This record gives sequence, structure tokens and C-alpha cells, in this order.
Amino acid sequence: MLSTLIWFPVLGAIAIAVLPLRQLKLAALTISGIALLWTLWIAHQFNFTNPLLQFQEYLPWLETLGLNYQLGVDGLSLPLLMLNSLLTWIALYSSEEEIERPRLFYSLILLVSGAVAGAFLAQNLLLFFLCYEVELVPFYLLISIWGGEKRDYAAMKFLLYTALSGALILVAFLGLVWLQGADSFAYDALMGQSLPLWVQTVLLSLVLVGFGIKIPLVPLHTWLPDTYVAASTPVAILLGGVLAKLGAYGIFRFGLGLFPEAWATLAPGLATWATVSVLYGAMVAIAQKDIKRMVAYSSIGHMGYILLGGAALTALSLVGAVTQMVAHGLILAILFHLVGVIEAKVGTRDLDVLNGLMNPIRGLPMVSALLILGGMASAGIPGLVGFVSEFLVFQGSYSVFPLQTLLCVVGTGLTAVYFVILLNRTCFGKLDNAIAYFPKLEWRERVPALILALTILFLGIQPTWLVRWTESTTTAIVATVPPLTQPTIASVNRPVNSPQTVGWVVPDNSIK
Amino acid sequence: MAQFLLQTVWLIPCYAIVGAIVSVLWSPALIRRTGPRPAGYVNLFMAFLAFGHSLAAFPIAWQHPAQQISVSWLQVAGLDLTLPIEISTVTVGATLVVTGLNLLAQIYAIGYLEMDWGWSRFFAFLAIFEAGMCSLVFCDSLFFSYIILEVLTLGTYLMVGTWFNQSLVVTGARDAFLTKRVGDLFLLMGVLAIYPLAGTWDFSELAQWAQNATVDPAIREALPPGIATLVGLALIAGPMGKCAQFPLHLWLDEAMEGPVPSTILRNSVVVATGAWVLIKLQPVLALSPVVLAVMITIGALTAVGGTLIAIAQIDVKRSLSYSVSAYMGLIFIAVGTGQTEAALLLILSHALAQALLVMSTGSIVLNSITQDLTQLGGLWSRRPISGLCYLVGVAGLIGLPPFGGFWALLKLADGLWATQPWLVAILLLVNGLTGFSMIREFGLIFAGSPQPMTQRSPENFWLITLPMMVLMGLTLHLPLILQSLSLLPSWAMLNKDMAMLLLWSSLIGSGMGAVVYVGQSIPKPIQLPWQRLQRFFAYDLYTPQLYRSSIVFCVDWASRLIDWFDRQIIDGAVNLVGLVSLFSGEALKYGNSGQGQFYMLTIVVGLAAIALSMSWSLILH
Repeated sequence: MLSTLIWFPVLGAIAIAVLPLRQLKLAALTISGIALLWTLWIAHQFNFTNPLLQFQEYLPWLETLGLNYQLGVDGLSLPLLMLNSLLTWIALYSSEEEIERPRLFYSLILLVSGAVAGAFLAQNLLLFFLCYEVELVPFYLLISIWGGEKRDYAAMKFLLYTALSGALILVAFLGLVWLQGADSFAYDALMGQSLPLWVQTVLLSLVLVGFGIKIPLVPLHTWLPDTYVAASTPVAILLGGVLAKLGAYGIFRFGLGLFPEAWATLAPGLATWATVSVLYGAMVAIAQKDIKRMVAYSSIGHMGYILLGGAALTALSLVGAVTQMVAHGLILAILFHLVGVIEAKVGTRDLDVLNGLMNPIRGLPMVSALLILGGMASAGIPGLVGFVSEFLVFQGSYSVFPLQTLLCVVGTGLTAVYFVILLNRTCFGKLDNAIAYFPKLEWRERVPALILALTILFLGIQPTWLVRWTESTTTAIVATVPPLTQPTIASVNRPVNSPQTVGWVVPDNSIK
Repeated sequence: MAQFLLQTVWLIPCYAIVGAIVSVLWSPALIRRTGPRPAGYVNLFMAFLAFGHSLAAFPIAWQHPAQQISVSWLQVAGLDLTLPIEISTVTVGATLVVTGLNLLAQIYAIGYLEMDWGWSRFFAFLAIFEAGMCSLVFCDSLFFSYIILEVLTLGTYLMVGTWFNQSLVVTGARDAFLTKRVGDLFLLMGVLAIYPLAGTWDFSELAQWAQNATVDPAIREALPPGIATLVGLALIAGPMGKCAQFPLHLWLDEAMEGPVPSTILRNSVVVATGAWVLIKLQPVLALSPVVLAVMITIGALTAVGGTLIAIAQIDVKRSLSYSVSAYMGLIFIAVGTGQTEAALLLILSHALAQALLVMSTGSIVLNSITQDLTQLGGLWSRRPISGLCYLVGVAGLIGLPPFGGFWALLKLADGLWATQPWLVAILLLVNGLTGFSMIREFGLIFAGSPQPMTQRSPENFWLITLPMMVLMGLTLHLPLILQSLSLLPSWAMLNKDMAMLLLWSSLIGSGMGAVVYVGQSIPKPIQLPWQRLQRFFAYDLYTPQLYRSSIVFCVDWASRLIDWFDRQIIDGAVNLVGLVSLFSGEALKYGNSGQGQFYMLTIVVGLAAIALSMSWSLILH
């Protein structure tokens, strides 16, 4: 059942590359559309009261290496799988009709989609690593072939950074297995490892730095603005919307999941690191003159909230962190899409040149309206999805790390500052009639933004649909961690009607 | 039927939301054929429905005890976010005021924005404001109140930005959004912090908790005074932003760049949203004397400072806006001294009177094409209806018996006299100065000889004049309405001395205003002997400059500095690593010389090194 999510896009990619098809975009859309529907079907079948892995698959592969084909999905990965499928479809839909080398482009995107799904599903450390690395090369090509200015530099930087990230993660995985003396890389077998705390801490640090590059966290982030800006719109959507989430997912799955004690020890440092990332990203974003770069830096700030939620390690903050991944993916996708549309129509991304796009006759009123929605969602205005996840993170983290949480609230204020700068310069103001001969909006430019906007709005008003996949899994994860951090603020009559906490039981490897 | 009407009052905000959603159809990209006007009519109809519903529900609510309805919104990981809806006389009454004023404002807007193209946007925002305020009134939870206040902050940004191609509008919208957002984020900090302490966000339960905290040592111990003060200060920051109190008052003045019909709502009820939340939070705030003192100080400073600034303005709308800040300051004083009933009464009387003042001045501004007080004048004979409405608005605002403002101020003064008598002096001063400021504006608009801009200024057509006159009637009838709701004190209970003081302060203030500005013996514009003082108030205490040179300056430079650091140091280090590896690779390349001897030498040296290291322990021994 889960394998379909990996192999269907991959086979589709091969089919597009090889078969003499005419309507390449339509074919790619169909393939990713089917994958999306299949993901939704899995979500429909998913039992969200069960915190454990579901729909597990197991095939022995290279048993001597400890590498087996083990898949499973739980509340941590399911929302991200849905995000991946949705954003792949959106990215394909928003790509240009007359793109160069369409065969390669569509195949690579589908390949990326399959590999990312594999990484989210893999329950074997080596399998995860394999998928994690496989997605790298297509992205390198996507950036260096279809990118904009300085694409070679950006692609190479991306490749080197991500390769380093992969190497660190591999070292950590190998170290864990050898020191533990385990005979396989199966995730569930390694979960109850019994290494001394300092070894755990060293391994966890490797994992943190490795995935921290991917997220990215300050100061490991400098590949991000260059890469996001150089990438074309569909690739930027996938990079920011999905790939960054792979880093955050990795930190939770393989950092927190494998080394809970070390995680709890490092938590205060992580919370501070997260706060620094939030404030740093927001401050640098304020200084940007290029709207795409501004959005890219906003991403650094927003990924910090995820780490904060993870560091606080309460049931609430962890749910918030996972929902923040989804929320941020959706918001970043709509922002990159709209920025791409503006660049394509107006021909510039420079804040000092853009003006008055909200003009109803000659401007881009719909793009402006949706840009306001996206920016405000990013700034955490209630009623939109960004608020829900940020609020859950804040409320969950406040009792553990009050100071860091409050500083992150300041970070949302700074987010509002740069988005107001962006909106005021691009949408508001007087449109220069001399240059206002913009091409008409096409459907491929409208529909993705509308779908994303409606999703952002719907999940903001009905957040139950966002949190219910995750809740039982994250609650179970929190229950495995020894309580090291005492709440610094005493709590009186806190409601006790929290859902029953279920132990983080090791599931058996039965084939389903 | 009666119960049904009452049970479904939660529909009132929904009508407006439906109107706002339907308006989207007439946004520029969709229906072009009909023009944007149908959006206005749809919203007007929805506003009428909302008003009718609350009008019908009010007498029923009067006869029934307060009811609670709960709507589950989100339950996650032990956090139960249920929206409690409180249906009581006060809430339905407040909705009636909001929907009524909104209905009048929408009729007014159809007249006022006759020539405008942004109807669907504008009316959708009006509807969102109506929905937001009505739901704020009904919701009995701090968390959901915060949500609504934040959404209204965004609403203010878009509403002020209606005419977005003017530069002043753009900066006004920006400042409104950011100032309110600062207040909101402090409020969010308070919201986050109070939950672990109290375990609830429901206002009624918070009040209960606060009451317990004063008697129960266990709770008292868990709540050090420092924390109570910090939480209280964070909680009042949100209302400070909404009510445009010092130092977050800047936005209301700049928001006057927005269209007049939105100003009607903003000056009367939108600013009162902050006051409403403040009143609901009063028991929690009362936990810390410091917070109460801060509230009173801020309120008093804003009340006095606001009126003084109002007197120095030459813009019709801006002068009114500073009076709004001043009256909201009085409400801060009222809540700070625990007089929530007086605060509610003041909100009501102020809302009607202020809306009337904005409508009347707006009708002048519309066809005099200027809102500069120095260019207006001599309109009394040409605009008697607007003039009368203005005077009724003034009477309803200041302490002039028997109108509404008098009773509210009297109740407040009565309570203050018992607790903090020095505040009565502030109240009387503010009342007198407001009278002066209002009559000043009246004199500058209506008295004197006509100016070039006022030569041709007939009364407007019925869409503008009718809602104005209806509101005038309401303002005049407010004392009767209050009496029928038995909200007025009986003759025996009346504090006659206080009433006389209040009356005298109003009379002296307005009288002086009349002598200076209605009478023509003093030449205008009036120059104070101390130019600096006059400028100090005229330029809003130099607050914009203060902000520009402090917070804005700091954030700007810090962001540039960090950006430089990011580009040069962090990215520089990364690029340096790249360069070093490239160059070292390039340099090593020349090691491959192709000479066999050189390779042999390398091998020998390598082998020697390995042998040496292998036998190191032997050598040592």
C-alpha cells in the first residue's frame, strides 16, 4: 500500500522519460494526481487514535548489511506525506507549458516526489539514508538546468551542503549501529538503545548538525537563500515546502526518537538555538530588497518554531511543531508561487521597483489579494493556518521555556514587519501606468494559488483536520522521554482531560 | 419563537460574514458587467438582517437570565479550546449598538462612496468589522477575544488601506497594523502566560480564579506578585493598542486617511473593542495594584494629552480622533478604578455621539472637498442640518444634562470621588477641554464668513443626511432609553454637587470655545505666545519622530547589520572554505609532474613515515 507512493511516481518518471508521450505535463499531472489521491486514501484509512506505525511493509533485502525494505507511516509522517503529494501536484501544475527539456523536468520532479515519500516512509536507517541521498541529484539538476541567475553557484552550494549533511547523518547512523552492536539498521530495533549518555549526545549532535543543514538552522543556512532564489518557481516550492520538512522530520524521527535522553539534556540549548534562528531569520528578512530572498529568509525564521516545539517536548508543543511543518509548507508554497507569478508578469523582484499591483484594472489584483493572505498567514494572523501551529508551539513551550517562547513571539512581530514592508511596496502604492502592460494571468498561475489559499484558510478555521493525524503519535513520543526539565512556572489546576497517553511500544515486524 | 430568536443570536455575526463572502463575487476579476455596486446592496441587506435580529432579540434577552452556549473548536493534547458564547442583556445590547451603527454607516457609505470603485472590498471589510465586533461581544473567552482582535488588526490594515494608491494611506495602514500588532503580541504573551496559572481562558472562570487568588493562599503562593504584574501589563497592552492609548496612539490619527464611513465605525465602536476586553479582564487586572496604577496613569495621560492635541489639530478628522483617544483614556481610568458599569455606559454614550460627530463632519468634508479646518467656515446658514447634528453630538459627548454623556461621566465621577478624588479633577478637566475642542471645531466649520472652499456647500442627498438624522434622534433619545432600562439614578440618589461641577466644567469649556472660535472678535488662526508648545501639541508630541528615531531606527540598523554579518561573515566563511579547497586542489595538481624519481621519492618518504610511526613505541622503550 505504501510502496505505491514511492514506486508509482518513480515508474511514472521512467515512463515520461521513455515513452513517446505528447502531453507530458498532463501525464505528469495525472501521475502525481493519482499519487495524491492514493495518499488521501491512506489518510482516510489511517487510524489516528493509534500512535504506532501503520500499514507496515517488510521485505528482506540485504540482510547482511542490515538494510531491509521496511516501510510504515504514523502521525509524524502522514501529514508530511500529504504535503509532499499536494505540493508535487501544485509544483507540476504551476510549471510553464513551454518549459525547456520537458521530459527531463517532469521525470525529475516525479523522481524527487517518490524519493521524498520514501524518506518519510522508511523505517530502516539505511533505507532512509538512501532515499535522502537519491533526492539530492534530481534537485541539483533541477536547480542547475532550470534555475535563474547564479544557478550554477547555487546548485553547487546546495549539492555540497546537502552531501555534507548526508555524510554526517550516515556517520551518526553507522556509529549508532556499531556502538550498539546491532545487526540491522531497523528503526524499531534501535529505538530502545542503551548507549551511555555522552555517546548519545555526540551522535545526536551529528544528527542535529546533519539535519540542521537541511532545515536549515542558523548558521548552517547560507545555501538556502541562494538556492531558493536561483531555483525556478516549481522547484522552489518543492525545496521550501517539502525538502526543508525532511530535515525537521529527520530531527524528530532520528534525533528525538533514537536519543530521547540526550535530546532532553540538550533541550535548553536547542530552544535557544531555535530562538536565535527565528530572530536572525526575521531580522535578515527585514533588510532584503528582493522579495524572493525575503520569503526565503522568512523560511529560516519559521523553521525555528519547529525546533522550539521539539525542544520543549510537551505533547502540545510537539503537535504544534508537526502542524507547523505542514502550515509552513503550504504558506511557503503559496508565497513562492505568487512571487514567481509577479516576477514573470512584472519582470522584477526588486522592492524598490514594484508598486501598486493591487490596481484593479491594470495591476494584478488577485495575485495581490492572495499575497496578502499568504503574508498574513505567515505572520501568524488567526483564522489562517500559520496561527494555529504557532500558537500550539507557543502554548506548549511556554511552561518549559518561557523566555525563549516569548522571544519567538517577538519573532512573529518581526515577521509582520517584513511582510508589511513587502505588501506595502508591492501591492499598495501607485501603479506606474507606463510599465503596467502585464501579460494576462493564466490558469496555471491562478489555480495553484487558489487551492493553497483555500487550504490555508480551511485548516486555519478547522484546525482539527490538521492536528488529529499527529496527536496520538506525538503524545506517545513525549511519554517515552524521561522528564528532565521542570516547568519553571508553577501550574495550578491544569486541565487533566488530556487523551490517554499510550506507551511507545515497539511494534512487531509483521508484514501487512 | 422568542427562545429561538435568542438562541440563534450567534447568527448575527454570520449574516455579516455571508455578506463579506458574497462580495468577493464583485471583486475586479470576476463580475464586471454589473459594476461593483451590488456588493454594497448585499451587505446592506445583511447588515439589516443582523440589526433586525438583534433588535428582536434584545427585549427577549431582557426578560431572560444570561445563557451560555459552547461550541467545540479544537481539542488537542490536553488543550480544550471551546468557544463559549454568552447571551445576556449586555451582550445582546452591545450587538444592537454595533449592528445599528453599522447599518447606518453602510447606508451612509452607499451615499458617500458614490463615485468609488472599491465597493466590494470596502463593504466586505465593513462586514468583517461588524462580524468581528459582534463575535467579540458574544465570546466569553480571552483566547477567542485575542483571535478576534488580531483579525480586526488585519481588518484595520486593509480598511485604512482602501485607497491604497495614496502615499499617506500606505504609511497610515502600515502604522495602524504594526502599532496594533505590537499591542496584540503583548496580549498574546499574556494569553500564553495566564493559562498555566489559571487553567482557563473563559472570562467568567478567570474572574472566579482571580477572586479565589485573593483569598486562597495556595493560589496566592503560586502567583508571585511580580508574575501577576507582568501578566497584567501584557494583558493591558492589547487594549492599549486598540484604544489608541499613549504611547500606541499614533495609528488612530493616521487611520483618518481611510474613508469616512469606516471612520464612523472605527471612532465609535472599533476602538471600544479594546475597552470591552479590558472590562472583561478587570478582575484579573485587579490582582496587581501596579497594573491598576499603570492603567490609571496611562488613561489620565492620554485623556489630558489627547484633548490638548485635539485642540491643536487643523484637520477635521484628526481632531476628532484624538478626542476618541481621550475618552478611551477615561475608560481606562474607569476600569482601573473598578467601575466597569460606568465604563460600559461611557462606551455607549461615546459611541453614539462620536459616530454622529463623524457623520456630520464627514458630510461637510464630502462636498467642501477639504478637511482642513483653516479652509472651512461660515457654513451654518448653508448646512443647518449638519450643524445641528454636530451640536447634538457635542451635547451627547460631554457632560451636559440631560444627554447621554452626562450620565456616564456623572456615574464615573461619583465612583472616583469615593476612591481617588484627584481623578475627578482630571475628569472635569478633560470634559471641559473636550467641550472647548468640540466647540472650536464647530466654530471653525460653521461660524464666521464663508471661505473659498465653502462657497458652494449644500446639504448632501438623503443617503448621507438620513442616517445622520436618525443617529441624531437616537443620541437625543439616549437618556430616555437609559431610563426605560432603569440605568439612570433616581433624583434622590443623584449626587447634585458632582452634577453641578460637571455641568460647570462643560459650560466653561464650551463657553470659552464659543467666545474664542464662534465669536469673531479674535483673529484666526490663533497663535499662542509659546510657539513651541503649540507645535508640540500640533505635531502630536513629536511621537512619529520619536518612533522613527528610536524603534524604527534600531530595527532598521540591526537588520542591516545582521544582513551584512550574514553576507560577509557567515557566507564569507563558507565561500572561503570553498575557495581554499579549490586552490589547494589546484596547487596539488602541480605535484603530478610525471617524473618517476619524484614518485619514488614520495613513496619512500611515505613508507619511512609509516615505519616510523609503527615502531614508535619500540623506539621510545
